[in-house]
Amino acid sequence: MTAAILTFVVLALIKATPLIYAALGGVISERSGVVNIGLEGMMATGAFTAVSVSFATQSPLLGLLAGILAGACIGLVLAIAATRFKVDQIVAGTGINLICAGGAAYGLVLIYNQPGASAQVPALGGNYWLLVVLAFAAAAVLSWTLAHTPWGLRVRACGENPRAVAAAGLDPLAFRTAAVVISGALAGLGGAFLSIGELNLYSDGMTAGRGFIALAAVIFGRWNPIGATGACLVFGAFEALQYVLQGRVAWLSSDVMQALPYVAALIALAGVTGKVRAPESDGVPY
Amino acid sequence: MKSVLRERTLRGPAFAIALIVVLMSLAMLVAGTSPLDGFAALFYGALGGRTEIGETLVATSALLFPALGICLAFRAGLFNIGAEGQLLVGALFAGAVGAQIHLPGVLGIVLLLGLGMLGGGLWGAIAGWMKAQFNANEIIATLMLNFVAAALALGLVSGPLKGPLATGAETAWLDPSYWLPTLLPQTRLSIGIVLALALAVFLNWLLKDTIFGYDLRATGEAPEAARRSGINVPRMTWFTLALSGAVAGLGGAVIVTGELHRFNTQLSPGYGFTAIAVALVGDLEPLWICVAAFGFGILEAGGLAMQASAQVPKDAIHIIEGLIILVLAARRYALRDTGVNAP
Repeated sequence: MTAAILTFVVLALIKATPLIYAALGGVISERSGVVNIGLEGMMATGAFTAVSVSFATQSPLLGLLAGILAGACIGLVLAIAATRFKVDQIVAGTGINLICAGGAAYGLVLIYNQPGASAQVPALGGNYWLLVVLAFAAAAVLSWTLAHTPWGLRVRACGENPRAVAAAGLDPLAFRTAAVVISGALAGLGGAFLSIGELNLYSDGMTAGRGFIALAAVIFGRWNPIGATGACLVFGAFEALQYVLQGRVAWLSSDVMQALPYVAALIALAGVTGKVRAPESDGVPY
Repeated sequence: MKSVLRERTLRGPAFAIALIVVLMSLAMLVAGTSPLDGFAALFYGALGGRTEIGETLVATSALLFPALGICLAFRAGLFNIGAEGQLLVGALFAGAVGAQIHLPGVLGIVLLLGLGMLGGGLWGAIAGWMKAQFNANEIIATLMLNFVAAALALGLVSGPLKGPLATGAETAWLDPSYWLPTLLPQTRLSIGIVLALALAVFLNWLLKDTIFGYDLRATGEAPEAARRSGINVPRMTWFTLALSGAVAGLGGAVIVTGELHRFNTQLSPGYGFTAIAVALVGDLEPLWICVAAFGFGILEAGGLAMQASAQVPKDAIHIIEGLIILVLAARRYALRDTGVNAP
């Protein structure tokens, strides 16, 4: 029994890790005033790039770095769209998700000459535990940065009232750009964890809505890095539960159990009524 | 009321078409094929004969329903990205019941199409109710529901609802008396497309010439003003998402009764997502969406032929769809000030 519980806890931590990275990306982006619906696509790009660079160089570490960089690049696309062109951030994020998913599917055909999944590549192996620990450290650092550093306070000000930031002689768009690029890098890291941390390949649709679950975690955690991390742990636990329950609950097929994490996210979305307040200028172009 | 939502011009869609041509040419050049050959393959594959035209119109119809549903939601300022799940649940309702019932043909067809609307409408209404009751973000809710729908459909159809002779996750065949009549002989094209076009005309009228349509648009374009003028915004929200889902669900039922003649978990290769691009390229106007759906139907049906002869993977089309959405967004297809609140 103890062993089963331990297995569950370990699995929950592993399943929560990519969500935490993406959710932290969501927090920083939204606190700066940009809604990042594109987290899902940034994760997919990070996951695919990490695998492909690891495939090309046989170095999972380079793969990891490339995944982060690729996520940041997609973040930059959204940042430019949101700041320079002042597009509707939700529409732009939706477009980015399609581009990233299609791009990875195209890439599979171009690089591995096969649709559906990549070849198996060198993965991080046992070192991926460092990334699990790093996720919690990143949450602490982001929390402290937003609360106590001048840069963090200015990012938050951009999300609440960008005009005030401009009146103080600073450029709100520069802060938003930086925040969204960091957001993309974090989502890319989360994606890389999925592909070369937990596994050793990329397959189509492997991010499976995690970018959106992370967004639900951002809301459930009330735009706070620590709160969002807690929410991700809950969602990760539900994902782990699905594996633990497989075969043990006769009346519920394992196919239906795949819905667990999504149902948990739906309940969380509905359960935060009346208590939440998004940053004042979240989603509003400046 | 002046629309802050969209520029009512054709410059956006024209730009989108030009963009598609340029990007696809580039993709073909990268793959080492002459764009001329590539486009020839695409158009031949989509329009080169009776079968090809039939398949193009089948895809047009499959895209048109979810795109019309999305159009309704977007016009009300609700970002419904769950058309894929709504379509699937609609198809599941129609397929599951259709494999069991024994009714006179026409009555059966009407019942199955109605069940499709019910299933899709239910799925949309869940997100709508969550938004209206708890102010839950509808973008995340509708997307989560896609995954729930897929898991539920897979579980049911590989278990209790699996057809006795089915090899995969499929229901039993529908009795031929419930098949929608064929429109173009010797093709798979059913009269479903006529239904889709009629629906587009109806929705165009509903949006433009009825009080309900005015209220819906007002809710989308100026929710605060709508509320102050006495529109029950929460009720509008859940009802619009339910209606949006019902239209997508009807599309699912049309695929089941019109083309596949049974429910299969693989019945949509992402129609609900492509439909977002269709709705935006169609300028969120039901009649223009019909034109856009035909265009994307050509891409969908001709894509396979292009893949074979021009070595451009069909997946590349999703990149193009995404770029179109991004570029049209950059052309200020702004949904802001429309009650699409930040998550």
